[in-house]
Amino acid sequence: MPARFARPEADTDEGGLWAMMDRQETRLQRSPFAIRDAELRDYVQGIACRLGGAHCPDIRVHLVRTPFFNASMAPNGMMQVWTGLMLRMDNEAQLAAVLGHEIGHYLERHGVDRLRDVKSRSAFAQFVGAFGLVGAIGQIAALAGAFGYSRDQERDADRIGVVLMREAGYDPAQASKVWANLLAEVESRPEAERAANFPLFATHPGVKERAETLAKLAAEAPGGVTGSEAWQKKIGPYRRGWLAQEIKRGRHEESITLFTRLITDWPAQADYLAARGEVYRLRARDNDLDAAIADYKAAVALGGETPEAHRGLAFIFRQRKQVAEARTSFQHYIETAPEAPDIAMIKSYLEDLEK
Amino acid sequence: MKKLTLALSTLVLAGCVAIAKVDSGDRTVGDRLAVNIEGAWNHLQAPNLGPAQTWTREGLTVDQLLLYSGIKDGELVHASGNIAKQKDFVFRAGMMPDEIVAMFEGMLTRDGSSFKLTKLEPSLFGGLKGFRFDYALTRKVDNVVLSGMGWGTVSKGELFAIVYMAPRLVFFSRHAAQVEKIALSAKVKE
Repeated sequence: MPARFARPEADTDEGGLWAMMDRQETRLQRSPFAIRDAELRDYVQGIACRLGGAHCPDIRVHLVRTPFFNASMAPNGMMQVWTGLMLRMDNEAQLAAVLGHEIGHYLERHGVDRLRDVKSRSAFAQFVGAFGLVGAIGQIAALAGAFGYSRDQERDADRIGVVLMREAGYDPAQASKVWANLLAEVESRPEAERAANFPLFATHPGVKERAETLAKLAAEAPGGVTGSEAWQKKIGPYRRGWLAQEIKRGRHEESITLFTRLITDWPAQADYLAARGEVYRLRARDNDLDAAIADYKAAVALGGETPEAHRGLAFIFRQRKQVAEARTSFQHYIETAPEAPDIAMIKSYLEDLEK
Repeated sequence: MKKLTLALSTLVLAGCVAIAKVDSGDRTVGDRLAVNIEGAWNHLQAPNLGPAQTWTREGLTVDQLLLYSGIKDGELVHASGNIAKQKDFVFRAGMMPDEIVAMFEGMLTRDGSSFKLTKLEPSLFGGLKGFRFDYALTRKVDNVVLSGMGWGTVSKGELFAIVYMAPRLVFFSRHAAQVEKIALSAKVKE
């Protein structure tokens, strides 16, 4: 592992890149999308520190409330982890795999390499002419981000990530599972849309190949912890919010694939069942409404279900003119979510049913 | 905000946006929606706007009033084809108010913005049984927090609605009362 990086001189290209990333970090800290929960942030920061070792003081984790699978690390040490990624992690080791990969890019200074690669192109002169050096660095950094890392850089980051996982005591076999799980989601959507809304996919080609390579690397020295229970416990307070964000994306096929996996892994977790039921209800294709009722009822049977499971049931029963069942479910929603923003509307539906 | 302003300024400079003054008085939107307005608004027309009429008092980067008139079953509630990667949101004649609001939520958050419903209640709109909703929208492009409100009804399987949004600080409160008057004045021709 290289020694900690010193801050580059301000009048160098790398110094300009750091300055721009510093400004982005300031904006990110102020952003309403930033999650300011210290406990969760410290927990993820702790995982990053276990992986980053001596570089820990330079790594600053920022959690961002965005329902897509993405994480990134800038050359100045700013690491972003999006909630859509955290929802998709089965355990702590899988999160460590993604963070380790990003730290791999950081340790190899791939961001700076990308900057210089773009700089070497003829367009650089136009940028300097139009914006001056700092402006040009900003434009190029944006381009570098848009173009992403090369395939070789991704392979390097994968390899380093596995090494860091192993040194930190995590099961490296979980790294390939991250990609296999994501691939299953992407393959469930129409072909033309497969790169959309998975920013990492746009810059991480050869997912199948990478999953296989990561599995081989892990097999060279198996073992380590997954931290499944710890992870599930830690994300418990945030799970419903993240599930709601995922449902709102409106990518029904992906969400069903994701929730089905989570239900398989955590069959006693009512939130996942209720979430899949909600997606089936919203998609409302073929036998979806029957599937939705089955999931909602399974969630209710487990107990601790969201009030929205009862609202979802009520909507379907109302649509099917099963008045008594609709009334019971609406009443349950009203009792369990009296402060819900749509409560007045729900009460009006109930009144209509009673006419 | 700078990015949004730049994008819109570029459209205006490129001649893609036409802006027409909407004077006080009775105005019709589409074939079946009529409203009465006090004070002038700006009506923007551009290829990437619609099917709602887009009005603004302060400029499109600040406040927007969307007026939907006669949206038919299966019709998109936003312009089509501008951002292919994003999910489309379609009106269905059988939608309940919750579903219509969820559709607007989806439309307003296509760019990653964050929507929070703060109230949904029954309300007359256009002289018909309908609904009213209030919301907060955190715009992804510039992190500005907007307040919003909307009204809607479905008549003969077609959607009629008004959706307004403006930055929470200063602008929303400046125009909210006027927008409420417009909503109250709305008439849907049966």
